[in-house]
Amino acid sequence: MSPIKRIFYQDGFYSPNYGAVSVATDKNYIYPGFGGLYIFNDASKEVRRKRAYGKELTSFFEDDVYSCLKLLFLNSRRMWKNSSLRCLLALAILCLRSLMYSQEIVSPGDPQNLKCVTHNLHKMLCTWDVSSRRKHGQTDFCYTTNDLTPQVCFKTKERRAEIPVPESSITVTIGSSGTAFPTKEFVIHQKDIAFVPVTPRILSLMPDFPTSTLNLKWSDNGSIFPYGLDALWEIQILRKEAMEVVTQVTYYSKLTHKDIILFWNWTSDMPLECTSHYVKIRCYINATQFVGPKDWSDWSPAEMIPGKDAEPGGSGVFPLDPVVAVGSDLTFCCVHEEDQHITNMTYGSKSYTMIQLSRRSHAIRVLNASISNTSGTNVVCRLENGYEGSVVFVGYAPDIPQNLSCETPNFLIIKCTWKPGRPSGLYGERRTKYSLFERTSGKNVSCEVNEVNRDHVCGFPVLPDQKTYDFILGVSNPIGQAQSSLLVDITKRVHPKMPEKLTVTGDNSTSIQLRWFINGSFAETRLLCQIEISSSHSERKLHNVSIPGRKSSTYTAQLNALHPDTKYQLRVRCSAADHFWRWSDWSRGVEQTTSEAPPARGPDIWRERSPSGESLIVFWKPLSLSESNGKIVSHEVSCYLLETLLEHKVVFEPSNSTEIKLGKSDCMISVVARNHAGSSPPSKITSVELPSDNITTDQAVAMGNGINISWDSYPNMTCGYIVKWCHSSGSEPCSVDWQKFPSNTTNAVIKSDLFKPGVRYNFSLYGCKSMGYQLLKNVTGYMKELPPKTAPNFIVEETSSDSILVKWEDIPIEECRGFLKGYLLSFAKGEKDALKSRLSESGNPELKVNNITDLTKKSMKILDLQGKTSYQLELQAYTAGGLSPPNSLYVVTKEDSVGLIIAILIPVAVVVLLGVLASTFCYRKREWIKETFYPEIPNPENSKALQFQRNICEGNKTLKTLEMNPCTPNSVEVVETQSTAPKIEDTEIMSPAAETAVPEDGSDSEMENHVVVSYCPPIIEEEISNSPMDEPGGSSQVVYIDIQSMYQPQIKPEEEPETGLVTTAGYKPQMQLPISALKIEGHSPVEEELDKTAGYRPQANTNTWNMGTPDSPGSVESNNENASFGSPCSINSRQFLLPPKEDEDSSKPINTGWSFTHFFQNKLND
Amino acid sequence: MAAAESPSAALRRRDLCSRGIRLAGKMRADVVDLLDAYVEQQGLDASASVAAMEGVPLAAVERWDEQTGTQRLLENLAAYRAFRTLLAQMLEEQREQLGEADAGLGRALAAVLLQVSAFAYHLEELLRLESRGIPGEEGDGPPPPPRLSLFEQKLRGLGVLRELAQWAVRSVRDLRQLGKPSSAAGTAPGLAESP
Repeated sequence: MSPIKRIFYQDGFYSPNYGAVSVATDKNYIYPGFGGLYIFNDASKEVRRKRAYGKELTSFFEDDVYSCLKLLFLNSRRMWKNSSLRCLLALAILCLRSLMYSQEIVSPGDPQNLKCVTHNLHKMLCTWDVSSRRKHGQTDFCYTTNDLTPQVCFKTKERRAEIPVPESSITVTIGSSGTAFPTKEFVIHQKDIAFVPVTPRILSLMPDFPTSTLNLKWSDNGSIFPYGLDALWEIQILRKEAMEVVTQVTYYSKLTHKDIILFWNWTSDMPLECTSHYVKIRCYINATQFVGPKDWSDWSPAEMIPGKDAEPGGSGVFPLDPVVAVGSDLTFCCVHEEDQHITNMTYGSKSYTMIQLSRRSHAIRVLNASISNTSGTNVVCRLENGYEGSVVFVGYAPDIPQNLSCETPNFLIIKCTWKPGRPSGLYGERRTKYSLFERTSGKNVSCEVNEVNRDHVCGFPVLPDQKTYDFILGVSNPIGQAQSSLLVDITKRVHPKMPEKLTVTGDNSTSIQLRWFINGSFAETRLLCQIEISSSHSERKLHNVSIPGRKSSTYTAQLNALHPDTKYQLRVRCSAADHFWRWSDWSRGVEQTTSEAPPARGPDIWRERSPSGESLIVFWKPLSLSESNGKIVSHEVSCYLLETLLEHKVVFEPSNSTEIKLGKSDCMISVVARNHAGSSPPSKITSVELPSDNITTDQAVAMGNGINISWDSYPNMTCGYIVKWCHSSGSEPCSVDWQKFPSNTTNAVIKSDLFKPGVRYNFSLYGCKSMGYQLLKNVTGYMKELPPKTAPNFIVEETSSDSILVKWEDIPIEECRGFLKGYLLSFAKGEKDALKSRLSESGNPELKVNNITDLTKKSMKILDLQGKTSYQLELQAYTAGGLSPPNSLYVVTKEDSVGLIIAILIPVAVVVLLGVLASTFCYRKREWIKETFYPEIPNPENSKALQFQRNICEGNKTLKTLEMNPCTPNSVEVVETQSTAPKIEDTEIMSPAAETAVPEDGSDSEMENHVVVSYCPPIIEEEISNSPMDEPGGSSQVVYIDIQSMYQPQIKPEEEPETGLVTTAGYKPQMQLPISALKIEGHSPVEEELDKTAGYRPQANTNTWNMGTPDSPGSVESNNENASFGSPCSINSRQFLLPPKEDEDSSKPINTGWSFTHFFQNKLND
Repeated sequence: MAAAESPSAALRRRDLCSRGIRLAGKMRADVVDLLDAYVEQQGLDASASVAAMEGVPLAAVERWDEQTGTQRLLENLAAYRAFRTLLAQMLEEQREQLGEADAGLGRALAAVLLQVSAFAYHLEELLRLESRGIPGEEGDGPPPPPRLSLFEQKLRGLGVLRELAQWAVRSVRDLRQLGKPSSAAGTAPGLAESP
């Protein structure tokens, strides 16, 4: 007996060693049934059958019993540990049954291994084995289902027979015809019969390459099974030449006792062109009434869909030009010839790793594809000798249309508009397409939509006798579709088109007629039209007109109550009157000017007597546009005296006044305005002016935007008040203006755009009586007060040593620019200096200010001043608007002569007195003084020891030892001290070398002392190098340095770095030194020697310092040095001989620092 | 024949040649610009080599200098007529694929198509001046090419524009050759040889 090698399990194999144990442990149990070993599972009740149909039952059971025992032995330890009783029981049953069958077929040579399998639950196919001795010849086969039915027998040469499936059991007798072999009887129960459905057959497998979909079609063979059985179909998809399983799915169906064609489709994630795909199918019928073991059918033969790589010459990139949704995972493959080599595959600009599908096919996987551009994303397969490619369009499925709205402009067509939402990113033939479907009528309209312009409008014809439309807007593109619906009553959605052909007729001054045309069939509705009327001098007005609608007709409307001589702009728009939905667009505008009409009223008039009183000037105000009703061409002025026309004048525009020679008489004046259409009603005013007394003049300043004038109530002023004023602008005559107020008014705010700040206006208030007009008061006012434009002119009338009398003049009215409040007179010590700021702003602590508020005062005396002192005076006027600019004067007070005389006389007297006293004292005590201060001294000449003195002071015949007369030495040498004694003469300066130096300007050549001042040469190589050649051997020379160049280093030292040292050293007058001794760089030995021996040389003659020194830059710092006699001469010093002119002035203040030098210099010059 | 050519005809021919050279130069510049825009818009690799395609006339020719003036004109005319068809097809494909999107490229294509048509007409004028019959355009033209995939369309468009740019250069040279005073003699054998 062979051991069980493996137990088949649906999903794989189990080792016999562990399979039995694990099966028992997992609550499976083994059942030895007919045709094999069955393993049942409690949980699913799914039957799994060991595939042992080919084995004889006996041997099978022998094998299995053996196996069971072996299993039991081998796994006893584990089994006992798991103590699975059911396993033991199963094994026991298995062994018992095995023994039972073995008893039945114990005889050798008898038919054995009777197996029965049904495919349709009606018939079963039984097969058996016979010994080789009985293989030839016929077999008698009998069966009977029970005792009541007769036994059916037939002969067969084959070792199989088809007999009905018994309801419970069937007894089969198999014997050999005409042989001595015994007949064998089998009892077959239904539970011993295996049910294996017929292997299904695939009717068709159709590929849909663009969608990579496989469509499978097969028959369920339901006609052979009872009605209502559940059928499970297992479908397996395999791919590549190696037939790798891609997926396996289970399809469920119910058998209906008819042959039904079943469909199933599957979409591949890989294009079907990339490689071959295979499909297999098998079925399992869950016949619950059948108690025998049930199993899956065998797999059907695999149906193949060959890929392009299986096609000779097939090549390309697949899928070809697909359209996919954003975010999709895509697989592209490149099919090529077998001998070609792929360089790379790119998606867009990115290269991807290739997966080999077959020798001729490679694929790339693109994850989460992003939206492509308008021309798609290229998938390129680069081969050694060319390209293969595909273009993929990645976009979005259409969005649900939003804000779907439908309306009719004319009852002929319905226009539906919507917002498309997110753009699909697909264009051209892949663009989103729209269709409008009306459910009530079933009519469908395709919409032409401009994808780029986002103008989403679709028209649908208005159907006769249909008001309500149930629209469905369908949207689709290759990726998906969407829809939006709208139910609309078009009588409530009327949006007329813009009115056309708008015209105006009529030449009336107050009415016009409008005509316009609207295209559309509005016969069943009313139209509400709105007329917009606007003109230059009135606000925009809207005028609504309700008109019965007609079919493509012209509509008219009359506009009344218009103003004459007015240009109107008119336009029209319309809507449905019954159910307002939307206004149409405005029509284009038209203009119409109404004709003129006579002026509505007479002009506002005023009159004034001329200054001479001989004539009367009549003024009138122009009528407003709304009153003139046309262009005013003239005014007619008439003068009546008791209905007698004294004078009549026609005054043409634009004059607004006229003069009537009236003499001293009075009349009633009438003024009429006239335009082309007629005359206005007359305006009348009397020329009578009633006398008035005690006329006061008030002051008024604007509060807000007008000048407020108030007055007392005058009960006898029966016909109101008039405020008259005058506008004056520059040199033009004053233009009269006025304003009338009723008699109960006591104040008025006079406003005018012509009022300007800082301008004085004179108002006159007149009261109106039946007899005439009476002047009540005058008012002077400003719109706004400003500071006076100019300061008052003032002069100093009188000056003394301690006082100044100042007088000033009035400021002209037009320069006051406000009501004058007073004057400010300021004064302080100060000299006239243009640079000094205003006194009031100088912050001078001695500043004194006098505020003069008495405007009548025109002079003022300033007291307590110091004599012979310069004072600065400032006078300013001020208003409420501020201070005027100041007017300044400088005054020097007179000297106090008496005090001066006293101050001189007293010291002189004291000195004289002291002198007299001293003289008297000395005279009286002269002997004592002589003895004390001048004792008798022997004559040193008489002493031989003092004989040398004669040589020293030779020529001085009266030498005395203690004589204090100065003695001029031959030579004075000053060492390391600066001599301040100007009288010491330096012999070095008088040396021959110094005398030879001649300044080029010659200014010093004639000096008495023959002192030559030398200027150290600039350290400029050219000059230095030339000098020794021109003036060798200690000849002196004055070097003139260009003033500009000398100043440059001061201003821009960086431009002449080589002279920086010199310039920083300043410019000093120097003694003439031998040029050869001056070296440019550093201190030459000669120079050092000079410095040591003659380095300090006093300057002999300060005259030669000249005026150049103050002018030289840095002179302030160098003053002290220059002022010192005998100061050392730095060889680096320079001197301006010609100081800049401008510096002379600027140096004046600095001169104070040079006062000593100047003084000394002046003294010397003197 | 050239010897018999009247001065006015020679002048006219020179004028036509010089105008043709200007036209070809402008066309070349526009085609180069269009090529850049086309490559960018179609997402192609500017350096991609495109194999010779059926129906696209090649500018390269052997023994160019031995060609007669008439031969030059006839070859140019045939080429530009072919380009006119190809460009019209490209324009149609462009409209199909892009719709209203990227109208700029469509306008540029249409402009070049117009120039090609004008240049073809200009060549016909030159041929008339040479007293040559203008070969008729084939009625229905060649059979429409098989439907190409979009990628193939893109590559073909690239090839068409590149070859058109080459042709513009060749046309300039051809017309210069033709416009030379001495070329009149050169064209004589050609005219005599040509049927």
